[in-house]
Amino acid sequence: MSYYLDLAFNGLVFGCMYALMAVGLTLVYGLLRILHIAHAAVYAFGAYVAVIVANGTGSLALGLAASIGAAALLGMAIYRALYQPLLAYPPYVPMIASIGLLVLMEDGFRIAFGEQGLTFARNPYPTQLHELAGLTVNTVQIAIVGAAIACVGLLALVAYRTRIGIGWRATVSDPAMAASFGVDAIKVRYLNFAIGSALAALAGALIALLNNFVEPSMGFVVSYKALAVIVLGGLGSLQGTLVASLALGLVESYGTIFVGHFMDRDAIAFLFLIAVLIVRPQGLAGLKTA
Amino acid sequence: MIPATDRRPYWAWPLSALLTLWLAAVGPACAQVKLGFQAPLTGQAATDGKSANIAAEMAIEKINTGGGVLGQKMELVTYDDQAKTEEAVFTANKLIGQDGVKFAVSGSYSASGRAAAPIFQKAAVPFISAYGVHPDITRSGDYIFRTVHLGPPQGRAAAKFLADNLGRKRVSVITMDNDYGQATFEGFKSAVDRFGIKVLGEYTYSLKDRQFGSIVASVKRDNPDAVYVTGYFFTAAPLVSQLRSAGIQAPIVGSQAFDAQKLIEIAGPAVEGVYIVGGLNRDRDVPELKEYLAGFEKRSGYAGENVGATVYSAVRLMADAIGRAGSLDPAKVRDALAATHNFPHLAGELVSFNSLREINMPMNVNVVKEGKFRHYAWIDDLQLLAPPTE
Amino acid sequence: MSAYVYSLLAIIGINVMLAVSLNMISGFCGQFSLGHAAFYGTGAYAAALLAAGGSTLPLALAAAVAVAALLGVVVGFASLRLRHDFLAVTTIGVSFLFVGFVRKQAWLGAEMGISRIPPSGLGNEGNALLIVGCALATIALSLYLRRSWMGFAFRAVGDDEDAARSAGISITAYKLAAFTLGTGIAGLAGGLYAYFTQFIVPDSFGFIVSVMLMAMVVIGGTGSTLGVVMAAAILTLLPEIFRFMKDYRLLVFGALLILVVRFAPGGLAGIGRAVLAKARAR
Repeated sequence: MSYYLDLAFNGLVFGCMYALMAVGLTLVYGLLRILHIAHAAVYAFGAYVAVIVANGTGSLALGLAASIGAAALLGMAIYRALYQPLLAYPPYVPMIASIGLLVLMEDGFRIAFGEQGLTFARNPYPTQLHELAGLTVNTVQIAIVGAAIACVGLLALVAYRTRIGIGWRATVSDPAMAASFGVDAIKVRYLNFAIGSALAALAGALIALLNNFVEPSMGFVVSYKALAVIVLGGLGSLQGTLVASLALGLVESYGTIFVGHFMDRDAIAFLFLIAVLIVRPQGLAGLKTA
Repeated sequence: MIPATDRRPYWAWPLSALLTLWLAAVGPACAQVKLGFQAPLTGQAATDGKSANIAAEMAIEKINTGGGVLGQKMELVTYDDQAKTEEAVFTANKLIGQDGVKFAVSGSYSASGRAAAPIFQKAAVPFISAYGVHPDITRSGDYIFRTVHLGPPQGRAAAKFLADNLGRKRVSVITMDNDYGQATFEGFKSAVDRFGIKVLGEYTYSLKDRQFGSIVASVKRDNPDAVYVTGYFFTAAPLVSQLRSAGIQAPIVGSQAFDAQKLIEIAGPAVEGVYIVGGLNRDRDVPELKEYLAGFEKRSGYAGENVGATVYSAVRLMADAIGRAGSLDPAKVRDALAATHNFPHLAGELVSFNSLREINMPMNVNVVKEGKFRHYAWIDDLQLLAPPTE
Repeated sequence: MSAYVYSLLAIIGINVMLAVSLNMISGFCGQFSLGHAAFYGTGAYAAALLAAGGSTLPLALAAAVAVAALLGVVVGFASLRLRHDFLAVTTIGVSFLFVGFVRKQAWLGAEMGISRIPPSGLGNEGNALLIVGCALATIALSLYLRRSWMGFAFRAVGDDEDAARSAGISITAYKLAAFTLGTGIAGLAGGLYAYFTQFIVPDSFGFIVSVMLMAMVVIGGTGSTLGVVMAAAILTLLPEIFRFMKDYRLLVFGALLILVVRFAPGGLAGIGRAVLAKARAR
């Protein structure tokens, strides 16, 4: 029985990681209808900054702070330099630019920091074990789940209880109307990218801690999954994204054990996506609009 | 103003120009022996490609400082094949058609070696696959040789090691799902009955995976006496860490590709005591090995491992065969290669090539002790390790 | 001509076929597909299996086209239900599904792939000529299509589905037609590729290849046959011409993509048209 609980917990950890990534993507998509594939590069960037600063200063906290801050700036820069000039074109145009940026940055990491990747100089966390309801889990896994809950909870709070949040939601559903009420659409966009990128960087840093390893191509694997998640979730819906993240994490966790000899993990994930879309073309929580 | 003593005679410049021109013209005539070399310098396999490249260059330098081959210098013509079949085909054609190489070494992965071999065979160019393990590589023809153990013998050796050296018979197996992992696992399975091993569970993972929660949970449920894992350092390091974190204390036996310093760097204390079948024996008291390890670490910034060592030896072997053949005729060099006897490979004594041009060579087993790879045992049952003959 | 030149021609020819056929689906008909490599792979595997089983060249290639087109129709049906963004991600899924499935199937060679594919019997030169011939035929078809009624219908569907529907154009029929045609050609390219390398592995048909092909279409100028042909040829040749670029290949590729999209979204074709317009205006 604890075997299935083990699998479930693993699925949960994965799901939380996907959630942290997917929230950023959903924020961008909800506002601009752009599939921000370069988000994965921000994730990897966050991981690299965390390792380098932590190793350089000896403080993990500083590494995390630097990672989140730098990524927020990077996200906003990406919007300004890459997407804003292309908003007039059909959405696949900025998507191609996004793919280009991902490829460029990942190769840049390889050239700048080596193919072999980087590790933390001091990282006792993945081996710090705790007993939780009969399961053995480590500190980083708990941190990932905790971070996901905290961030998403905070976002929900902001979105529904504060003026900024209301303004954001208004801009997403009707930019013109929101503008006429004095909401600055541009500020909202920058905020979106900043928050989304900060979350991606946090995810990257946490994964770097979990694996004690940062490599140039770490973004690729997660990027498509995160895309699958937001499509599943209904493109633009925060709740849908969360449900989809957790669902995907669990499906992968159980799927690789039971169907793993028939197709690999990525195929399982996408099969799940396609199956859902066949039944519900608008995603798990999407509105049946356009 | 140039002092009088420093002023060169007025005919110095035209003379040196003439000299340069003459050397340039005559240069190609003082021909260098070109050795074609394919390695994955970019792409997924770039880490090994870098090792292979450095090792090959070191080998060439060693050869040339020792007088070259048959009095001529050897020159490396390197192409990046990105470990992809179409690039391998393309660069092989380039080496033969454009660069006119008569000898070649593959410092790349299986798929690329497999694609390139038939092309070199057709052109009658002796070709050594340094560490590519696809079985069909040597089946391409009699000009194709391989200087690394195939997957199946590695698997069989692991079975023997588990049963005879460690006395563990209830084993869970975790394999990576590429050709190397599959082939090694096939070899392992073929020997389990002979050594009385019971396979409690078989699990596969993808090269892209870094989190193995499902597999770890399953192995924990199996509760084996030992775990056999195939993988590269970037999958093995997290996998072993996670196995240990889950409380699995059983000995872990890893495959050849574990054998990289990065494994220890990433996984730290978790890999203490892990055994590696087919790892490079760095403790051998052989001067050339020590020289190689020191030089490699200086150039690359990381400690030497299997991939580099086999590539280095493959290049040295090619030069050695040319020397023994006493001629640059590819057919004669091919025969010399086939007749190789007790060649000093960096990983051990390359006893001979069999009829399929696969190596007869003992296999080393390392153990990770105090953060270093130490020699633990030799598997020298050459019959058990015997590669296929067709 | 050396084997090197023949293999160069072969690779360019195959890439041209793939890019032009993708252009039919994504450029002409506006159905954004990041899964084209899956059809390429399907064709390659179909031809490889038949060839290894003793079939003749024409039969193996016909099978490649048929199987790929069949898969194309299936994905085409998906495009009927899904809008742009969903379709894009679904096609990404198709790419991953293909590789993820094939590498686990023993009868398809799994990770080892299919080796010892018998030669086509045409020799290096023959192979290269066949591929170039097929590539030229593909270009001709594409150019004809653009001027034909079908091409007009494709573009109508691509530009504005609702308007096209109200003009009486059967969206279903034309979307499916675009997919069938485009994927069939990709399958043919796959079959030719199988004979060229005589050894195929699943990794040669992964998502990155799909991305490269889409990049060729975008850099060439989505919708323009000649632009796409030029982009395919240039992107294939570039690493060869600039050997030093080998290590920075992906870096340059990514940068190129960004620059083209950002400053010349019409691609090479757009630049070409602008230059021509300026020349005429003088």
